[in-house]
Amino acid sequence: MAYSDKVIEHYENPRNVGTLDKNDPNVGTGLVGAPACGDVMRLQLRITEEGIIEDAKFKTFGCGSAIASSSLVTEWVKGKTVDQAMTLSNKDVARELALPPVKIHCSVLAEDAIKAAIADFKKKREARQGKQSAS
Amino acid sequence: MKCWNCEQETRGRPFCPGCGKIAARPPGATFFDIFELAPSYDVDIPALEKQFRELSLRLHPDRFAQADARERRLSLEQTTALNEAYRTLKDPSRRAFYLLKLHGVELDREDAGVQKQMPLEFLEEVMELREELEEAMHAKDLTRAQAMAVDVTARQREALHEAAKALRALQAAPDNAELVRKASHEMGRVRYFTRFLEQVEEFEEEAVV
Repeated sequence: MAYSDKVIEHYENPRNVGTLDKNDPNVGTGLVGAPACGDVMRLQLRITEEGIIEDAKFKTFGCGSAIASSSLVTEWVKGKTVDQAMTLSNKDVARELALPPVKIHCSVLAEDAIKAAIADFKKKREARQGKQSAS
Repeated sequence: MKCWNCEQETRGRPFCPGCGKIAARPPGATFFDIFELAPSYDVDIPALEKQFRELSLRLHPDRFAQADARERRLSLEQTTALNEAYRTLKDPSRRAFYLLKLHGVELDREDAGVQKQMPLEFLEEVMELREELEEAMHAKDLTRAQAMAVDVTARQREALHEAAKALRALQAAPDNAELVRKASHEMGRVRYFTRFLEQVEEFEEEAVV
């Protein structure tokens, strides 16, 4: 199956590949998988006190579309607020990358990964605030 | 579904139990119905093979060359279904995926069902495995990749074994959601491990060239 130019571009020059320290209290980690194909995607965000996403990294073991989807979303969310990032939809990713129907799930995976990373960050922050108010 | 010829219930059999005419495939008929088996993980493979051969001969389109259009069409339909049923039921992991589907969980479909959500620890395990394999591939360390494959094959076998236990328990308690979730998770593990092993195979092929 032919990939679109944009998918190939991201696949050949993926942005933001790598890892952030998952123990950093300002880092949220999202780990998601696709049971249909058995591929996995890890996406990490470093978020400031003001709720701005200052860095985003990903590691994806999957097809070209999955890599391109995660590369694209890390580019998109950098510099955005957490609330803005939460509104990101897989449809935008699929449209931007011109994904065929059988590859839509790759964009869903990327959206899920962002949401999971934010959820992880919020959980960490709440735990920290809980500790602070308890002391 | 009733037989088109004698109106008897065909119960998903390839031939009508009443008049022996070739039957239509009723919607919702399972692969097990073709072989007159109850849905179960435990299948007598030599018996299945024997039945498959006999049915293949009896359903073969050549035998219906002189029959009317309806029977010719049904022989094609039934032959296709028979081949697919045999391919699915003779293989333990295909059979388990199929049983899971009969319990309402299709891992191949892209919709995100709650039943399919894998525990986070497992996804971490997969991520670690894939990263370690990537390292071995970068280092062109085929021996290490193959050692990992041996270990993952064992984990995969264990997962299928656990899935089989849950699927057997489901025969007695088909509505037990917890067992469906268990079977779904274990088959999910099988799927992720299969993907890992495919990666090792690709690496092996590259290494040979």
